[in-house]
Amino acid sequence: MHDVPPHRLLDRRLLLFTGKGGVGKSTVVAGLAVEAARRGRQPLVVELGHRASMRGIFEAEDVGYEPTDVGRGVFACNLEFQRTLVDYMVEHVRVPRVAQTILANEALARFFRAAPAVGEVATLNKISSLVAERSRGAPRWDPVLVDLDATGHALMLLNLPRVMDGLVGNGPMRRLMDGFSALLTDPARTVLNLVTLPSELPAQETVELWGRLRVEHEVPVGALFVNQVPSLPIDDELFELLGPLRDRAEAALAGDGDAARMGAEVVAGVELTRRLLLKRERAQAQIDRLRTDVPLPLVQIDQLATGYLDLEHIARLGRRAVQDLEALSG
Amino acid sequence: MADGPAPATDSLERLLLDKDLLVAVGPGGVGKTTISAAMALQAARMGRNTLVLTIDPARRLAQALGLDGLDDAVQEVSVQALTDAGVDVRGKLYAAMLDTGTSFDTLMARIAPNPQVERSILDNRVYRAMAGTLAQSHAYVAMERLYEVMGDERFDLVILDTPPTRNALDILDAPGALTSFLEENVVKWFVRPRTGLAGRLWSTGSFATTRLLSAVMGPELVAEMTSFFESFYELREGFSERADRARAYLRHPRTAFVMVSSADPANLGDAKNLADGIRGRGVEIEATVFNRCYEPFGDDRLAVITEVDPCPADEVVDTLWPTAKERGRVKQLVEGLARVQARTAAINARAQRSMAAFQLPGRAARVLVARLDHDIRDLQGLAELSPWLCPDR
Repeated sequence: MHDVPPHRLLDRRLLLFTGKGGVGKSTVVAGLAVEAARRGRQPLVVELGHRASMRGIFEAEDVGYEPTDVGRGVFACNLEFQRTLVDYMVEHVRVPRVAQTILANEALARFFRAAPAVGEVATLNKISSLVAERSRGAPRWDPVLVDLDATGHALMLLNLPRVMDGLVGNGPMRRLMDGFSALLTDPARTVLNLVTLPSELPAQETVELWGRLRVEHEVPVGALFVNQVPSLPIDDELFELLGPLRDRAEAALAGDGDAARMGAEVVAGVELTRRLLLKRERAQAQIDRLRTDVPLPLVQIDQLATGYLDLEHIARLGRRAVQDLEALSG
Repeated sequence: MADGPAPATDSLERLLLDKDLLVAVGPGGVGKTTISAAMALQAARMGRNTLVLTIDPARRLAQALGLDGLDDAVQEVSVQALTDAGVDVRGKLYAAMLDTGTSFDTLMARIAPNPQVERSILDNRVYRAMAGTLAQSHAYVAMERLYEVMGDERFDLVILDTPPTRNALDILDAPGALTSFLEENVVKWFVRPRTGLAGRLWSTGSFATTRLLSAVMGPELVAEMTSFFESFYELREGFSERADRARAYLRHPRTAFVMVSSADPANLGDAKNLADGIRGRGVEIEATVFNRCYEPFGDDRLAVITEVDPCPADEVVDTLWPTAKERGRVKQLVEGLARVQARTAAINARAQRSMAAFQLPGRAARVLVARLDHDIRDLQGLAELSPWLCPDR
């Protein structure tokens, strides 16, 4: 595995993202795409099949198989299985119309859907094509960001050339697999990034994934993004006053209407703040653990101040993340 | 499973008391495994002998359930462990892990009509390469396990935690899909009939397909797959029968699907897609559990506070701590507390709006579970969820 300078993340042609289900990969991918566009690039976000996160995040009408303009200078596409298979066959089978007709056969379609490896071959084929696509003498998409879905399935995809190695001869299939391998292991073109949360299960899975990547794979690994890092809108140095303030608030509970009401409010405020402080401490402990066990450049993405993410926040999040990455290299 | 119509359900409690099988579905990372285990404990508390089939529980939770991670055998959670955790349980609680890693091999062993067939499959290079990745295999393994435990007299209720498949609908599609995969008119293109005329006809009929597949997968792989299918073909009857049984359990009136999600719009989007897909396959979701969906504060932990009305900080300091030496700092802290509460209330309000927008057709029960202070990693933690799961008890 090669050492990939973190600040040049966006210079790569192909950015892959993986992480446990639910850690917010889509948000990170969207944020980085918006920032890439803001810097004058032409990013394409690729989602696989059944996921539809980009449509929701960018509030777009529909994200289809063909790259769709979703605003903010970002394009997105959704690689639905059937069409990637058709594309693959049209590209690699001599008689395209025959391929199309046979694919229209229900039974065969079901077979391919259930058959091992076929989906992965078709997906890698489409991703390769998108990376190779050119327009006016330059790469059309710059970069291609792929939301690889949960860890297990990402590994399946990355594993494919190796899995197929013993099973392909020396014909066109071999050349195709070699092409995939070359792309996936080339640090100049491709980088795999991990996304996680600062909590036990995702962190554990990230450490395990790192272990496997180091041993089993030659895919260049870039950065580790830690999402939803808790933060509190109170200066740390004020926390020593929490105890004394609470004592006085509690004393007021026995008293008259207004004082008792204020006392109750402050007691509730202190208790909530203490609980959130504990959560922040635990999250920081997980981050420390990740820094130790996963020696990758680590970028923290703060939890939102006011509810859930909208596009503005995502844009800011992406900008800050790239800035932090650049700072890490300096 | 018992015969007879299903009674009307309007609460999770009713589902835990009346159903024979609960299937927990939902997007990844929302705490489905924890909620499945918590529901199982709750059912056991209410007197039902319950088995929870879990996927990948966190190590400490697995240990608490008596699972050592070494195999997928059913373990009874000891009465002593429950007593120690301060949990009063009238029924028995069992747990088992669904080990999707080795299970496909175990499955082959169970289904193969004889050791030769089993060996030829397990040794086949295609199978070896693909066993873990066979599309939908995780879901299929879950179905096989389900088929096994539903016949076990020990359990009044089985709660099935579903695996993180690439497409969460695999759980409903898996039995049928694998059968399709082996379907007569597809696999027969590979499988050589034993005798004469049929054999010659086979060669002719499948030639075009084999050429097509060779173009797709390469001729060597097609040869391996042919050999793979010849072995697999022997198993198809077994698969078919088990697939039918699994399908029947999933669609039985005494089975209920429970959706577990967070209140995060991204997760709710996935949950909505999943619910639509499940509905499209003729199955209704009967309860939705919104896990970790609000931050509790104030006296009532079951209340979802979405607005606060703090007093001005100056007044608060004057009333509660007029003698403060560092009045400025105290005031800053009071303002900070108000900001924390306001932000928390706003997040809760946003969560509530997202949840309100997530409506399922029918009479699905809705359960809101708060964010607790800590990760749940033992029986006591699971028991803490009780007031949210069954508020009327």
